[in-house]
Amino acid sequence: MIKRLDKKAKSSPKGHEKIFHHNFFPKNRRGENILTENLLFIILNFVFLTVLILFLVSKVGNAAVLEEKYSKQIAMIIDSSRPVMTVAIDMQDAMEEKEEGVLENNIVIINENVVTVKLREEGGGYSYSFFNDVAVSSYFDSTKNKFIINIDRK
Amino acid sequence: MNKQVKSTLLSVYSKGHEPQNLGDKIFHCNFFPKNRKGADKVLSVYWFVVLFIVAGGVVYMVAVFYGAPYDVREVEANLLINQIADCVATGGSLNGNLDKLVDELTLLQICKINFKVEDEFSWKEDQFYVNISSGDFDKTSGMISGLTEKVVLGNSELKSFCELGGKTMPKCVERSFYVSEGKVIKIFVGVKKVDKNA
Repeated sequence: MIKRLDKKAKSSPKGHEKIFHHNFFPKNRRGENILTENLLFIILNFVFLTVLILFLVSKVGNAAVLEEKYSKQIAMIIDSSRPVMTVAIDMQDAMEEKEEGVLENNIVIINENVVTVKLREEGGGYSYSFFNDVAVSSYFDSTKNKFIINIDRK
Repeated sequence: MNKQVKSTLLSVYSKGHEPQNLGDKIFHCNFFPKNRKGADKVLSVYWFVVLFIVAGGVVYMVAVFYGAPYDVREVEANLLINQIADCVATGGSLNGNLDKLVDELTLLQICKINFKVEDEFSWKEDQFYVNISSGDFDKTSGMISGLTEKVVLGNSELKSFCELGGKTMPKCVERSFYVSEGKVIKIFVGVKKVDKNA
């Protein structure tokens, strides 16, 4: 088949037209390629969109973002509270995002007037201070699946 | 384009290759101009260029949005004002604490405030500024007179930086309230903490 096409190509009047002659390739090649090219195009588009969505999902539920969000939120809650108070915080998304090595009771650490939230094994977590001069203690209530913060007088 | 298709179809008919049915007419290899395949390839390359530009834009926007910290300084300043207001007045009347506030130490002790911050970004106890002033309020004319500073606490430089405005500057909030004794209390609070909020 190729030999036959080569002969045809050789019989072409000009040299440079040999390669670009419309009979240089088999006749049905064009029809086969349309399907393959379109399929490849659609698959690449899907791959692109999937990677983009995965990137967005990974950024939205990122442990670092949650650490910052919860440490600031807890600090603001303590600042707005008055002794004696008990506050329960639902941190379901943080519990799902935390790494296996991090213990539930070590997720929220309150030392003097600094709140530290740690969801990753590496790094020191995210800390934020509160100005309210109160005695604060926290623990994880596994029955209610919530963090309990007790605010008392110093 | 239409002219090209028309002429192509006419040439096909004139050569005697008459298609047998409508499907053959439309899907005949000569229905479209000959260079359509090349144009498609160029189009798909441009399509991917556009896709990558869009992806770059999305990645940049997401990185900027989620990379920027939550700015809670204004909330913090308002909470500090609330704390001081609750400290000096109860139920719309002065509770006697305002006269006891003579210096920084008394304010911190009486109003239960602690300005110690986390040991990061070489922060010291200079992240806050509080200015409490009081004056007389004339109920008939509605005028404020004799407004004097009672206590000034923290980093006084924050006040001038607040006036400059901008995201990387400290945030300041000023609020006043009236008490039944015919006085007006004005509380000005500035919060720095730029490294963690801007």
